[in-house]
Formats: sequence, structure tokens, C-alpha cells
Amino acid sequence: MQRYPKIALRNGKRYFFRFSQVQRIQHIVLFSTVITLALTGFPLRYYDQPWAKPLYEFVGGIEIAPWIHRITGLILLGLFVFHTGYWIYLFFKNRVGRLIREKTLSVGNVIREFFSMEMIPNRKDFFDLIDMFKYLLYFSNRRPHYDRMSWKEKFDYFAPYWGIPILGPAGAALWFRDEITHYVPGIVLNAFYIMHTDEALLAALFLFFVHWYNVHYSPEKFPMATVFLTGYLSEEEMIHEHYDEYERIMKEEGLELEIIPQNH
Amino acid sequence: MNIDINNRLHSVCRDRWRSTAPVCMIRGLLCCLLMFCGFGLFLSDAYAAAAADELNCVLCHKYRGLSRIDEAGDFRLYYINKGLFNKGPHKRVQCKDCHADIDKIPHDPAEKVDCTIQCHLTEPSGNEKFTHKPVAEVLAKSVHGTVDKGEEDVQYPEDYPYCTDCHDQPLYRPLSFFKGQAAGVSERGLSRCKTCHQTGDFAEDFYNHVTSRLQKMRVSSEIVKLCAKCHGDEEFQERHGLQGNVVASYWETFHGKAAYFGSDEAPDCIDCHVVYGENVHSIAGRASRASATHEANVSATCRASECHADAGEQIAGYQVHTDYGDPDKYPLQYYMLKFFKYLMAGVLYFFITIIFLELLRRLFPDFSFIKQPEEKRQSTISTAAKQ
Repeated sequence: MQRYPKIALRNGKRYFFRFSQVQRIQHIVLFSTVITLALTGFPLRYYDQPWAKPLYEFVGGIEIAPWIHRITGLILLGLFVFHTGYWIYLFFKNRVGRLIREKTLSVGNVIREFFSMEMIPNRKDFFDLIDMFKYLLYFSNRRPHYDRMSWKEKFDYFAPYWGIPILGPAGAALWFRDEITHYVPGIVLNAFYIMHTDEALLAALFLFFVHWYNVHYSPEKFPMATVFLTGYLSEEEMIHEHYDEYERIMKEEGLELEIIPQNH
Repeated sequence: MNIDINNRLHSVCRDRWRSTAPVCMIRGLLCCLLMFCGFGLFLSDAYAAAAADELNCVLCHKYRGLSRIDEAGDFRLYYINKGLFNKGPHKRVQCKDCHADIDKIPHDPAEKVDCTIQCHLTEPSGNEKFTHKPVAEVLAKSVHGTVDKGEEDVQYPEDYPYCTDCHDQPLYRPLSFFKGQAAGVSERGLSRCKTCHQTGDFAEDFYNHVTSRLQKMRVSSEIVKLCAKCHGDEEFQERHGLQGNVVASYWETFHGKAAYFGSDEAPDCIDCHVVYGENVHSIAGRASRASATHEANVSATCRASECHADAGEQIAGYQVHTDYGDPDKYPLQYYMLKFFKYLMAGVLYFFITIIFLELLRRLFPDFSFIKQPEEKRQSTISTAAKQ
């Protein structure tokens, strides 16, 4: 934990820890592969559009691009497996380990620990969502006080967790169509084709409109939020986006008196 | 694609014309001179070159603008590119062998050529006069022919294809293992034949004859466009009771997309609709047991040695010509598409609404629906009045 102090000081300003190096590298691998997959995939979906052919030629053409797509897909699947192993490892090391040390290991406690992980949706997210709509529709002047992960970030996180298990196996099945037809009927390939291409479109549109709005186009972030590079979020952004966590960390670090109130 | 090929052909012809024009002219002059002298037959090489155009039709047809608007209002081009013609399959055939009705010069509009007539060439394996009749017979019995058809099926005889409806563009590509060759005969390949076959143009002709049959002469997308001339026409489909727009649904498959992006290996109509190893002209209707796409044969067709050879028999269940808008015929595809459509709309509209509201909130920060208590409102008003 010492490696990443919860609050770092740079030029007299406070920065709050959010993402470790391993996490930031995972994010870089994730977006590089997704962008590559989109560039080598969508020209095929929209083959009859004027931009499709030049773009497809640019990314390798019909001889090369499919292989780039497949290999990149494998890297993304690898990342998915790695990440799942990563949080399971952290879960056992930090949480189950603590339960063992405290000699309170039981099925109920492990389940409780699981649901208290920062990425797992909980009841607070539901009330935060209501708070957000109250704020956005002018029924309240108080922004929702999000904790470490807001419901939006959780949604962003679970989008690939839903998308990759749909896209990956479907893509692999279309790749190994000959082998797969020994085990499943041919019409499954029709289904996989729709799954692969439509889920990809959903993912791409979500990332382009929603995720990029949150981290690029939004007036607060334009041209780019830097937390994915530095791993730290400025005090101002913390107050704005994660007020509950901000208060908690300031208290933990003994800076209770310096907590700045959130004036919407 | 067609434009590409035309350009390519034109440039090939132009190059060829440039390189051979002086030689041809000298040969032609020599030939005339010697024929006058009655010695022409002794110079076999010069004779062979002239033999393709005994009646000197190219005298007029060499002009690029030779054309007219015919009775139907169609533009007809009568230009013959000799360089290209001499590379084609009919190189050794006289114009009059096919255009048999022409008997004077200048001639009247020629009739449509009958490809089944016997020409002056001798078929080398059997010593008989050559004709395309066997191919025409196969075609006549196929789904594209009118033999053994019910009356209602041949109501529109003009819809059935004639030879030239498909064989409309000669395009010759050398075998791919001779590198860097454009259209035409590979000199490198030829050099291996010419060591022994030195007389006349035999090596060129034979090489052309064989290699043109060893490879696909058109890229996949061109074949599809050829078939689409009829099968992509909705009225045509209706007239013949054919299933939906098979051309559009083909382009939607990976087969179609690969063909569209110029893959030489992409399967086109012929690859699936002709029984593996059979003559292309023998395509049978889907209902016929002899058809490559008959229920019982699909699996064998897909698993042909050049395609999905390692696939299981169930690959036959893949629905190639899917109409995504037809819930009765393709319920799985239709409802899956619906599901993803609604999911996508739901997710995107939800988040885009939030983004919109956020921007609105930022634009008008002071607006509020909160009802202030009466005293507080009064005090705000009085403070405002004092100021």
C-alpha cells in the first residue's frame, strides 16, 4: 500500500489515488485491443459504405486484417482471463487473508466480503441513481455523493464483463467454424454472427458516446481526463465525483479540518 | 470492378498494340505483296497471323468509334481490338465462322451468333469439327435451360441466359506461380513449352487454352455481379417464383464481404451452386435432387475439398441467404436482431438522456423546482427590494 499513498502532493495540490500501475496497463491493453478490433471489424459490417473499403485497405485488407482481428481478439480474451484472475487473487490475498488472520473465516463472511468489493453494485448505487435524477431534474441542488466507484463506473466496468463473454466465444466459433460444426448445428453460426456483430456495435457506440463523453468530451474533462495515465485524481474532481470517498480519505489521513464542502 | 477490368484490358491492349503494331504492319504488307505473287502459302508464320482475319474485317472494325444506336435504342460498339482478340479463345476462328450470315461488304446488321454451329477448327482429340454444342446441351437441361420445363416455367423465354449473357468479357490471367505477370500469356511460362513446340503459335494457343481452364477467369465479385444481372432483379424473382433477394443476402455473409473486398478465394455463386467437380453449365434448381444446394447435398457442397473440408456434416444447417426481416422463415435471426436492437436503444437512450440533462443542468444552473418555505421566500424578496 505504501507504493501508492492515498493522497499525493504535487505543486501544493492534493491528488487522490485511484488506479495502480497494473490496472492502468490493463486499461491501455483493453482500449488498444478494442480500438484495433473495431477498426478491423466494422468495415466488414458496413462493407457497402464508402469509407469501408479505404479503411479496410488501410488496416490490412482482406488478406491481413482478419488475422490482425483474430490475434487482437486473443489478446483481449487473454486480458479478460488475466483480469479475472487478478481480482480473484486480490480478493483472496486482501480480504480472505484478513478473515483468516482475524480467525473469522466463514461462508457468510466471504460472501459479505465479496459483495463489499468496490466494483460490486450495491444498494447505495440505487439511491445514488435516484439522487442523480433529482439533481439533474432540478429537484435537488445536491450532487449525489458517490463513494469510491459510482454506478456509472460500475456500469462501464461490467460492460466489458458482459460484452467479452458474448463477443469472444462467438468470434472464436466463427473463426473455427469448421471444427465447431462437429458439435453444434450450423444455425448456431448464424446466431454467433448476430451476437458478434451486434454486441460489437453496442459496445462501440457505448464507448464512443458515453464513455468518451465521460472522459473526453464533457466540458469538465475536455480534452482528456488524465487519471488513466497518472492513476491519481485531483481534489477538485474528487469533490465533484466521489465526495463520500473524499471525506473518508481526508478523515483517515487526519485532514478532517481541511475538507472542502461540495457546493454543487 | 468492371471499370477496373476495362481499364486493365485497355492498357494491356494499348501496350500490346504499341509493341506489335509495326511488326503487324510490316507482316501485313509483306503478306499482301506475297499473296499477290502467289507465294503466300510458303510463309507459314505470316500466313497464320493473317489467317484470323481472312476477310480483313478489321479494316473497318479497327476504328474505336465504330458504333451505332440500334433499333431498341441501345448503344452498340463494333470496335474489335485485334491485340485483345488475338489473345482470346477465338483467335484462330474466322469472323465469318461465327457471323455466318454476313455475305457482302459493307454488310447489313449481323444476326445474333449461334454458338452451337460447327466452326472450321478441328477438335484435336477426335478429329471432328469443333462446336460448343455439348455445352449448350448441358445448359439446356440445367435450371438455366428450357428443356423438360413445365409450360408456366418457360413463359418468359427471354429471361433464360444465352452463352454471351455470361461469357461477355474475356479476361486472361496467367497462372499465379509466374510472378508479377499482368493479363495475357506469361512469357516465362511459355519459354518452357517453346523449347519443343517451336512451330507457329501452337505453344501460345495451347498454353492459353489450358491455363484459362485451370483458374478462375473472373474475381468472385464479378461472378456475383454477373448472376445478379438477373437474380438481383426483384421483378425477375417474382416472375419465376424465386426466394427473396439472394444477391443482397449473399453480400451480407462473410463469403460476400470477402468477395467485396477483393479476395480471390472468396466463394461466389458458382462455388456453392454447382455440384463439386461438375460442369458449371449444369446448375440445377434447388428442388432437384441433382442440385448442389438440395437439402441432401448441401453438406457435401460446403465440405468440398477447397472449402470447409474439415467441417462436420452439420455445417449444412448454416443459413446462407438469410432475410433478417422475415420472422416466419428466419425466426432465430429476426428475434435475436430485435433483442440487440432494443438492448442497444435502451442503453444508449438512457445514457444519452443523462448526458443531455447534465449539459442542461450546466447551462442553466440557477433554475430550480424546489419549493421554498413561505417565510424564506418573503425574506429573499425583501432583501432583493432593499438592494
